[in-house]
Amino acid sequence: MRTESPTPFLFKLIAILALAVLLVPVIVVILAGLNAGNYLAFPPQGLSLRWVAAFLTSSIFLPAFGVSFLVAIIATLFATVLGTMAAIYLTRSESRLKHVLRGFFLLPIILPGIVLGLSLYVFYISANIGLARTLPGLIIGHVLVTCPFVIVTVTAALVTFDNSLEEAARSLGASPFTAFRLITLRIIGPAISASSIFAFIVSFGQFEVTLFLSTPNIQTLPIAMYVSLRYSFEPTAAAAGIFAILLVVTSMVVSAKLISLKRAFGT
Amino acid sequence: MTIADARPAGRPLSLAGRVRSSFRLWWLVAPAFAFFIVFFVVPVASLFALSLNPARPGMIAVTSHFTLANFILIFTHPLFYDAIFRSLGIAAVVAFAALILGYPLAYLIAKTEHPGRNTFLMILVLSSMQLDMVIRMYGLMVLMGDNGLINQMLKDAGLINHSLPLMYNMFGIVVGLVQVTLPFMVLSLIGIIRSVNPSLEEAARSLGASRRQAMMLIMLPLSMPGILAGTILVFALSVSSYVVPALMGGWQVFVLPIHIYQQIAQTGNWQLGAALAVVLFVTSLAVVAVYHFSAAKSSGGRT
Repeated sequence: MRTESPTPFLFKLIAILALAVLLVPVIVVILAGLNAGNYLAFPPQGLSLRWVAAFLTSSIFLPAFGVSFLVAIIATLFATVLGTMAAIYLTRSESRLKHVLRGFFLLPIILPGIVLGLSLYVFYISANIGLARTLPGLIIGHVLVTCPFVIVTVTAALVTFDNSLEEAARSLGASPFTAFRLITLRIIGPAISASSIFAFIVSFGQFEVTLFLSTPNIQTLPIAMYVSLRYSFEPTAAAAGIFAILLVVTSMVVSAKLISLKRAFGT
Repeated sequence: MTIADARPAGRPLSLAGRVRSSFRLWWLVAPAFAFFIVFFVVPVASLFALSLNPARPGMIAVTSHFTLANFILIFTHPLFYDAIFRSLGIAAVVAFAALILGYPLAYLIAKTEHPGRNTFLMILVLSSMQLDMVIRMYGLMVLMGDNGLINQMLKDAGLINHSLPLMYNMFGIVVGLVQVTLPFMVLSLIGIIRSVNPSLEEAARSLGASRRQAMMLIMLPLSMPGILAGTILVFALSVSSYVVPALMGGWQVFVLPIHIYQQIAQTGNWQLGAALAVVLFVTSLAVVAVYHFSAAKSSGGRT
């Protein structure tokens, strides 16, 4: 029985403008990577896969893509295990300290990325523990910024979890670990998967924390693109960007299947 | 709900029992806690300590000679204190612009009831939030450069003769930061807009309020907590961004993060770089705290 649309006209207009601000730069990157010419003009000079081919044989962007992927996989693995364990503690412990602890674990995303990267770099060098300018040193930085995402997502799932299910398993004779593995882990499994997808994407696109921790030998994709952007608009970089865009969009579609995006981000 | 709460009423858990059960869980949080102490608390503390050491280019190790010289230099040298105000000013403009653009989009998503369309819009916003910033800046730079697509189109249309300076200046930085922070604003607003009972708006309309009045008098005040959260988040993200001012400002506009990088990477003055990093962190934290406090007061503690 609604006669008017729920959103006023002016709002729709601005919302479309906002979507354009979000999406047009991304579309431009895709066009630049698929463009036949040496630079992107409007209208485009036709589509070709030459820059995609150039990316797949590039000695800069392909290895950088690989480094980003490797760092993201390892960082995600550590962040998921550490974060999930901490999230279980944060929802089940009765200690008053748990609220303080929860805030503490969110600190790495509140601290400016460049400050966190610089802190780690200074620490690695002054403590002289062999982590400066190494892959493990970089991964540690990424675990710090991805862990909060895991903790938040898994905590949200555990809060709505009905503990009496685990209790029922216990009363039927399951050991605490078996009950946890067969009941709780099964039910919060999708949330854990979604949180590790977020962690992966955050790590894969991480720039600011990486800035002080990467070296010309260990260059992640964002750093390699940044370095090339200082000098020119390399279409090969745009082609590398297309692969990153595909990765992010696929991850988001998969995580939308795993958890309710509405519940995870909407409230 | 915890395990203790779920126990049958016949077997209440004593206080000592609950303390014991909390204690038995500690091993779950221990690895993450230890990791954060070693690789987060200690490094940040050593950065703070380094900022109190006298400047010695090329030297990184923290010494026991403490002085405030770096901070005095920052607050007496216009090159540096101007950068603080420039950073804060840009962040304030970005927060405002992101709110103006973000609120209608959040409203549209919150009021989209069709589940498929809603998920589609959410995926668009989330993907653009998660996508690597450098890739998005690449797109913006191709659009906004002196020979970029926008200038090309305007020239072809005969509207301008000379390229408009769209980037390598403050304007470019603001556009870049709005692009990057907009999804955070939208996500902060969607939940709160959705939680406002639609019958409130309908009641106002049926009592004769115009659509605009209902929006301004009902919707906007009730979504204040989300507006506050979103602007604070966008402000904090903007103040601390390095990559956007670097690329969109073309290393011409000196904001705090650019100074930090320059002191470290080009001058090798680690102590001054560390002091600038401390100033950046403390400034953004202080502004957020002041804003949060005054906002909490003005909205009657409803944040």
